[in-house]
Amino acid sequence: MSKFMFVVPPFFGHISPTLSVGSSLIAKGHEVIWVGLKELAPEHIPAGGKFIVPHPELAEYQTAIHHILQKQDEGPKLSGVETLKLALEETYLPFCRIMINGVNRVADEFQPDVIVSDCITFAGAICAYQKDIPCVTTTPVPPDVTADSMNSPKIFEWQQNLIKGLHHEMGIYSGEFAIHSREMNIVFTSEEFSGCKDPLPHMRFVGPVKGRPNNTPFDWDRLSRAIGPKVFVSLGTLLVDIRKEFFGKLIAAFADEPLTIIAATDPAIFPEWPDNFIVQGYVPQTQLMPHMDAVICHGGFNTVNDAFLNGLPMLITPIAYDHFHTASLIENAGCGIKLRYKRLRVSDLRDSMWEVLQNEKYRQGAQHIRDTFIQAGGNDKAVELLETFAQRTKARLTA
Amino acid sequence: MDAIATHKLNSEEIFALLKQFITEVIGEEFVEDMDISKESSFTRDLEMDSIEIVSFSEKVKSHFGEHVDFTGWLSGMDLDQLINLKLGDIIKYIEQCQ
Repeated sequence: MSKFMFVVPPFFGHISPTLSVGSSLIAKGHEVIWVGLKELAPEHIPAGGKFIVPHPELAEYQTAIHHILQKQDEGPKLSGVETLKLALEETYLPFCRIMINGVNRVADEFQPDVIVSDCITFAGAICAYQKDIPCVTTTPVPPDVTADSMNSPKIFEWQQNLIKGLHHEMGIYSGEFAIHSREMNIVFTSEEFSGCKDPLPHMRFVGPVKGRPNNTPFDWDRLSRAIGPKVFVSLGTLLVDIRKEFFGKLIAAFADEPLTIIAATDPAIFPEWPDNFIVQGYVPQTQLMPHMDAVICHGGFNTVNDAFLNGLPMLITPIAYDHFHTASLIENAGCGIKLRYKRLRVSDLRDSMWEVLQNEKYRQGAQHIRDTFIQAGGNDKAVELLETFAQRTKARLTA
Repeated sequence: MDAIATHKLNSEEIFALLKQFITEVIGEEFVEDMDISKESSFTRDLEMDSIEIVSFSEKVKSHFGEHVDFTGWLSGMDLDQLINLKLGDIIKYIEQCQ
């Protein structure tokens, strides 16, 4: 049996796949802990696992952590280049500096056989490098490998200098690249959907791992009486400020159309909703999806993966961060239409929705991606990769 | 397709032209709410994304011809220069190229 230590950022989209994989590892008799920056609600933590926040080492950084988390809300207001700066310089690098001592201490106490570090929590991989512990990286979002038109040589240089500087701060002068594993990077999507041409052999595409079931009640009876095609709408759990504006546009576009909108958002944002809108704050998303005909979302990975696993075409309105990249991948794979949120016209929303619903090619595209996701192996494949990796590296260390 | 300009434009003429390109790229109804000035920053005030900037630079290229290498000029910029890029900077650059 092996000991796995996951190192995760305080973003649920990144934590979520590790919970499924970790829970399966526990079921197979392995010992699993998570190290994070912020406490996780107990209902999310798999039974038998432990989620550790190294409070003594984090105490002096509480203001900094709060400040970084607050800054993430500015995402929708930032341009592409500003988002790059926010991500690397103002989020990932400070997270590494803040987490490293706590991660080191927990690693010393737990003595993991493998550290599984999320792609944006460099502290896990750096700790593994310095302590010579085998390391695997997990990547929840398809890596952005396409050269964006804004990517200039100077931006690349900026990125390289920041990463080099971080290595020096951490006392690594070998010139080796220690923020990610060079031995295994588990990516939670399929190679085909990621758009990666000739990925390096240590990149292992396992597809999405299924979300953990949620038993939120829902008015299934009303859904069964709904008319026309059914469209699920979600903006994820973040992006609270723009909800009213976003759903206002949806009402303008679809209130008089022969379709039904099922929306996951707080109904209180409007005094009343059109008859063809079923609105609820929290919904059993996984159970709802098989009843849907299409999905409207901003490109957050949880909803996109759920839509794909049901072969549903999408209308994507990217708002911030990596949404634009994901939206482009969906459009390139022929599974939907991308409309930029910032310049969203009601007429385009309506026309594109009907195009997505009526043109069979989008559904076929989405069903094809679903097949590549299923073939990638999902949760079972990720567990198998981690178990084999642990065995192989243990043999290497004892040899 | 716009004709390649043959005479030199002054900064006001270039400004008017760039405003027209911006309107074509992002749509009239969205421009109405904006106060486009030479101080407007490309990314923050006009909120142009990379696709819009590409289509804007195509318009610049087809109007001024190859000797205004707008895309090449942009690609030589670092992060902070791109974040702070103002319409006035582009006008100055085009004036120099003419």
